[in-house]
Amino acid sequence: MKDSETLDLLSFVIGRARAKGATAADALLVSSDDSVVGVRKGEVEKIHRTRSRGIGLRVFRGHSQAVVSTSDLDRGALENLAREAVEMAGETQPDPFAGLSNPGPGSLPDMHALEIHEDPPRDIPQEERIRMAIEAEKAAFGEDPRIVNSEGAEFQSTVTHVAMVNTEGFSGSYARTLYGVSCSVIAREDDSMERDYWYEQSHYFRNLAHPGDVGRHAGRRAISRLHPRRPQTTTCPVLFDAEVARSLISHLIGGLSGYALYRNATYLKDRENTRVASSGLTIREDPLLKGGFGTRPFDGEGVLSKPKILVDHGILRTYLFDSYSGKKMGRPTTGNASRSLGDVPHVGISNVLVEPGTRTKDDLIHDMKRGLYVTELIGFGVNQVTGDYSRGAFGFWVENGEIQFPVAEMTIAGNLDEMFQSVLEVGSDIRLRSSISSPSLLIENMRVGGG
Amino acid sequence: MGRQQESSSSEVMRFFENRFGAHEGVLADILGSAMGRHIDDADLYFEYTTAQSLSMEEGMVKKGGRHVSQGVGARILAGEKTGYAITEEIRPETLHEIVRTARSISLGTEGVSTLRITPARRDSPSLYPVSDKDLDVPLSLKKELLLEADSAARSQDPRVVQVMASVSTEMKSVMVVRRDGLVSADRLPLVRVNVTVIAEENGQRQTGSFGYGGRIPFSEVMGEPLRHAAREAARQAIVNLEARPCPTGSMPVVLGPGWPGILLHEAIGHGLEGDFNRKGTSAFSGRIGERVASSLCTIIDDGTLPHRRGSLNVDDEGTPTQRTVLIENGVLKGYLQDRLNARLMGSAPTGNGRRESYAHPPMPRMTNTIMLPGETDPEEIVRSLDKGVYAVNFGGGQVDITSGKFVFSTSEAYWVENGRIQYPVRGATLIGNGPDVLTRVSMVGSDLHLDPGVGTCGKDGQSVPVGVGLPTIRVENLTVGGTA
Repeated sequence: MKDSETLDLLSFVIGRARAKGATAADALLVSSDDSVVGVRKGEVEKIHRTRSRGIGLRVFRGHSQAVVSTSDLDRGALENLAREAVEMAGETQPDPFAGLSNPGPGSLPDMHALEIHEDPPRDIPQEERIRMAIEAEKAAFGEDPRIVNSEGAEFQSTVTHVAMVNTEGFSGSYARTLYGVSCSVIAREDDSMERDYWYEQSHYFRNLAHPGDVGRHAGRRAISRLHPRRPQTTTCPVLFDAEVARSLISHLIGGLSGYALYRNATYLKDRENTRVASSGLTIREDPLLKGGFGTRPFDGEGVLSKPKILVDHGILRTYLFDSYSGKKMGRPTTGNASRSLGDVPHVGISNVLVEPGTRTKDDLIHDMKRGLYVTELIGFGVNQVTGDYSRGAFGFWVENGEIQFPVAEMTIAGNLDEMFQSVLEVGSDIRLRSSISSPSLLIENMRVGGG
Repeated sequence: MGRQQESSSSEVMRFFENRFGAHEGVLADILGSAMGRHIDDADLYFEYTTAQSLSMEEGMVKKGGRHVSQGVGARILAGEKTGYAITEEIRPETLHEIVRTARSISLGTEGVSTLRITPARRDSPSLYPVSDKDLDVPLSLKKELLLEADSAARSQDPRVVQVMASVSTEMKSVMVVRRDGLVSADRLPLVRVNVTVIAEENGQRQTGSFGYGGRIPFSEVMGEPLRHAAREAARQAIVNLEARPCPTGSMPVVLGPGWPGILLHEAIGHGLEGDFNRKGTSAFSGRIGERVASSLCTIIDDGTLPHRRGSLNVDDEGTPTQRTVLIENGVLKGYLQDRLNARLMGSAPTGNGRRESYAHPPMPRMTNTIMLPGETDPEEIVRSLDKGVYAVNFGGGQVDITSGKFVFSTSEAYWVENGRIQYPVRGATLIGNGPDVLTRVSMVGSDLHLDPGVGTCGKDGQSVPVGVGLPTIRVENLTVGGTA
């Protein structure tokens, strides 16, 4: 669908909602074209092509709202859905804080400058896609004879279009291309079997990492995990690898949501302009970061996005609001509305970046002397209300400032508030791999559960 | 009740025929183009789903939603290869196009042959005879129910400061057309209610959550069940206000009945899915016939339990569901199979080929995974704990299939000494090794409970509703990830 057709269809939808009695409405269309080729043990294993699109419509009758979504874009079906939405908004209760956001003045940034859309998308022949996936997997197998099995390697490309209109006159759209290579292999020696993976992604095909490098890295990671030991139960320093430090930052960000605030559902309530982390930690959000994986010209309510500091040398500078949660707390939106087709907006982030330190991960391992270097976490044992944290971990045991052996079947536990307050050092190893980017983080002490 | 499955199945076929022109001639023509020497299997999966939800917080029913999702997935299988493509515009031309795209996986020459369409015949009644009408409750009534849940939670205890509740219903019509001409159709109702409560005392906040669901008429969650969910969520939040840091390390753990069965799902269920075992990537690969649990343990996956959230009349490949024995008296008996992996492993499909929606190809997935009851009095099991954790409610879990390491996290648990409950402990993750954790099951209670019907399982980006069931059990030497 062309941009103009998309915006036409959305205008039709909010127009129908208005005609059925809505006092205000916004509508969103997301379409995507996703192509995945997967190989395993040198043979093509899957070819998936998913072209998908859907419309989400939110309607207001005064301060009552309802939301509908559909993948049936037939105009007759959309008209019916608009009617149902308006009827449903007649049943929900009026909430004085509910309403459209007023996007305010400003013009959309130059999309080209954001570097998230390769236009036109690179036309990559199927044989070339297969060749890249095969190359990644072959490199993993070539890394070590103990790489004996594979879950496969994939090449993926996706084009996504997002368009939004509302009855306040907002109308905007953007597109995003994404290319990715991933590889997951299995190392085996005697009775020890371990799996690990690696991926790289980029908005521009020309910036995508070499598939062979992705495979080799996956292979090395799997090999390094062979013959893990189970550590003794202890209390010790814990170094979070950059890959897992990201999840830690996401828990902190989750606690800054305006929704969590008014629901009393965050351990960070009433903490603005106070210390929430050690002074080494500075966290920024930049929605307009060139080539960022969370980059967007406007948020889920059409509010233009601006960079800001969230945590400044450990001091919390701002919570995150969309229009609704902001009004509930008597604050303006911070441009953090995130919108999916089937739901009303909630608070989300664009690109979050932790300011890197000056010392490498190896320096941090050296400084730690004795402790745990964590490279993978599993499970959902994180409670945002209390900050209680307890997860399953994989990694390496460090003694005398050097990695000694891999460890598994253990837990690490603490409380997010105490953990962030006791970040001893922030590494220099930051890379843009996802919407949250963090270097490795060294935490003074955590409880490690093992044998 | 007691309506025959066959009549509802032909109703669904007529629905797709009327709505999208998917009549037998068109289906035969489209799948007929998916023939060829190199193609082992092929199917078309039609889906039309409508869902409705209503949610409440701060004593206000703030939002309602209605969602329609429709599409068709075409799948071509050649050896170990899968080609998959979808369309959301359902017309004969787009269906031809997705079959063409999917068959690019097969390098063989294009074959066309005539296909004979045969509706699947089944004589057993539907496991969930629930009609649209059984789900279609006026919004005003749902609104009242949510507000009732709010007052039920708040009147439970003055320390309750926040109540969030939601009700949702879904009806999914599906039709699978296979290359052998077999057409299976089904209607999958799904109801879910959930209440989350936050309690506060002296600046300390805690949360509790409880819900019910299943392939049931909406009337079954109305009134007392929803109020009970609210009181239960409030009770958990209040209990947790008193919780102390949980001890850390290897210790005996007693799991209460019902939802703690998530242990089975993570520790052994995923590791027994056919795809991982065909590829040799599971910690359970090649171990059929070996002892992987204590002789007290018999574990099944059963997709045929009436009205359960994880149940299906037929799976998403048209295979009837069944009761599959995974572990019998401690010995590994079988895997969970879809058609692809069963064919490649030379075994039979077990009715576990499932997918989230038309947008995804099926994979081997669990349905309702259950440990059968033993003979021990559950109270005796708790009394047997000298020093250890008694865990009665859990949040989510996860597993590393290849190494077998799995976790699940407590949301309500107690420290026990000398057989007596001492105090509630704060949320802790338990970690173990799938292939040997069940060898340390030393007691199995007589009190098998199924979970309340709110489980969702994620695998490879696809979510499907599942169930678990467990009697009270005692496990030796489980690692508890506390802070004390």
